[in-house]
Amino acid sequence: MRYFRLHRIFIAQYLKKLMEYKADFLLGAVGLLFAQAIQLIFIGIIFSQIPDLRGWTYEQILFIYGFSLISKSLDHLFTDNLWMVGYRIIRKGDFDKYLTRPINTLFHVIAENFCVDAFGEMLTCVLLLCVSIPKLNMPFHWYTIPLWIVAAIFATLIYTSLKIITAAIAFWTKSSGHITHMLYMANDFSKYPVSIYNRFVQIVITYILPFAFTAYFPASYFLTGKDPLFCIGGTVVAGSLLFALALFVWNRGLKAYESAGS
Amino acid sequence: MSRVRRFFRTYIPFSRAGIQEAVVYRANFICFLIGEIMSAFIMYFVWKAVFLSSGSETFMGFTMEDMVVYLFISFLTGYLTYSDGAFAVGEEIVDGSIAARMIRPCSFEMCFLFQELGNRLISVSMIFVPIVAGVEIYRYITCGELRFNIVYFLLYIVSLLIAYMISFYFNVCYGFMAFFFKNLWGTTLIKETLVGFLSGAVVPLVFLPSGLAAVLNFLPFASLSYTPVMIYMGMYTYPQIAMRLGLQLFWMVVMFGVSKLIWRSAVKRLAVQGG
Repeated sequence: MRYFRLHRIFIAQYLKKLMEYKADFLLGAVGLLFAQAIQLIFIGIIFSQIPDLRGWTYEQILFIYGFSLISKSLDHLFTDNLWMVGYRIIRKGDFDKYLTRPINTLFHVIAENFCVDAFGEMLTCVLLLCVSIPKLNMPFHWYTIPLWIVAAIFATLIYTSLKIITAAIAFWTKSSGHITHMLYMANDFSKYPVSIYNRFVQIVITYILPFAFTAYFPASYFLTGKDPLFCIGGTVVAGSLLFALALFVWNRGLKAYESAGS
Repeated sequence: MSRVRRFFRTYIPFSRAGIQEAVVYRANFICFLIGEIMSAFIMYFVWKAVFLSSGSETFMGFTMEDMVVYLFISFLTGYLTYSDGAFAVGEEIVDGSIAARMIRPCSFEMCFLFQELGNRLISVSMIFVPIVAGVEIYRYITCGELRFNIVYFLLYIVSLLIAYMISFYFNVCYGFMAFFFKNLWGTTLIKETLVGFLSGAVVPLVFLPSGLAAVLNFLPFASLSYTPVMIYMGMYTYPQIAMRLGLQLFWMVVMFGVSKLIWRSAVKRLAVQGG
């Protein structure tokens, strides 16, 4: 409970900072909006020539794409500061600050920043879902909405955990932003149906870097109502396992950490 | 002659520093490259699915083989012509070290140019041959004959070098935006997405509505990626190539001129914050 209150204070603090740099925020959000828009133009051009992509219609592809942005933007909004751990905070010796405070270090790092740029992605996400859902004949039950929430939470955990693990590598190596970047880029695979990839890529994005569970698998369940156990259950299992691993690596890293500052 | 020698004696040390920098940060480079090349592979799989779904041999005039060559050569071109002198200018303005650079007896953009060339030397030699060889082997396997054309290849190199210079001066201009926007993350994202699209790195410009494609063909962005790639693929006749190279040279001169103009007016506005 104390942590929720702290998180509110951190966000309020951050929003004050943000008011100082309104133009920055606007440019960041517009940039992310642009990046998504260009991808959508690409999908539009493809579908101007073909009726469906390996059995998936235009609206279904838009839905999967929109769904992939739910977890991506939530993770982006809340845990963006993890990037800085690998890029800068440890290398510059600024991490010592967190160790002197009476709150959990991981919580502190994450709560310190609130990346409003993510609203650019969220806006795209909402637009895509609003455009695609009315045209899709999706199964709807009383448990559909709770399942959406569960899927969104655990899919976000997949992103966050991968970022925690790769950021924590910097406790040993001083800098790991490039490793985070490399693994993070694989998330783009999740925007399209897994069936278009070859066997090797499918195995990697399902079992090793489980980005397929951040979008395609849960989205395909909501579209077709098939395989709830694998699609939603898999998301929960992947998110939980990775998060446990992330906490383990982070705590081991803290023990190995030697300050880098002067 | 001695002026030329003095020029190189002044700037070669910057290249050497660039090489050393690249050696120190080689792990960063390799990870970055793997991350970036993944997006080329995603596109490859998407296009493969498109061709399988359409049931037709060609997509708006491109065969699957053309598409693969286009994707990877445009990835390579984008990588080779990428220039981030912009960030260096921006950072130096923010932390004030630009002042020290302004009193040095050498041209600031030449320092960046030579440092960047040195920095890229190792990465270029590491990826250029594998990608070109990979593309040609792929073409050989799918067509059953060697499609590699040395004349087109050499013209591609010429076009690539001009493209790099356009990109360099364009990014110098962009770097000066730090005078107006103090944070570059959002603007860089906007710039890179727009340039990526307008230069044909996302989809070949011929796939766009013909009016739009005609305009984009003339704009400087096409010179950054689309022109060299189409030359490599042998999509242009020789007179067309001559025209495209001429247009590239034109934009190079324009970018150079604009960067000089901005530099002159920016120096007047510069107020170093802190020291």
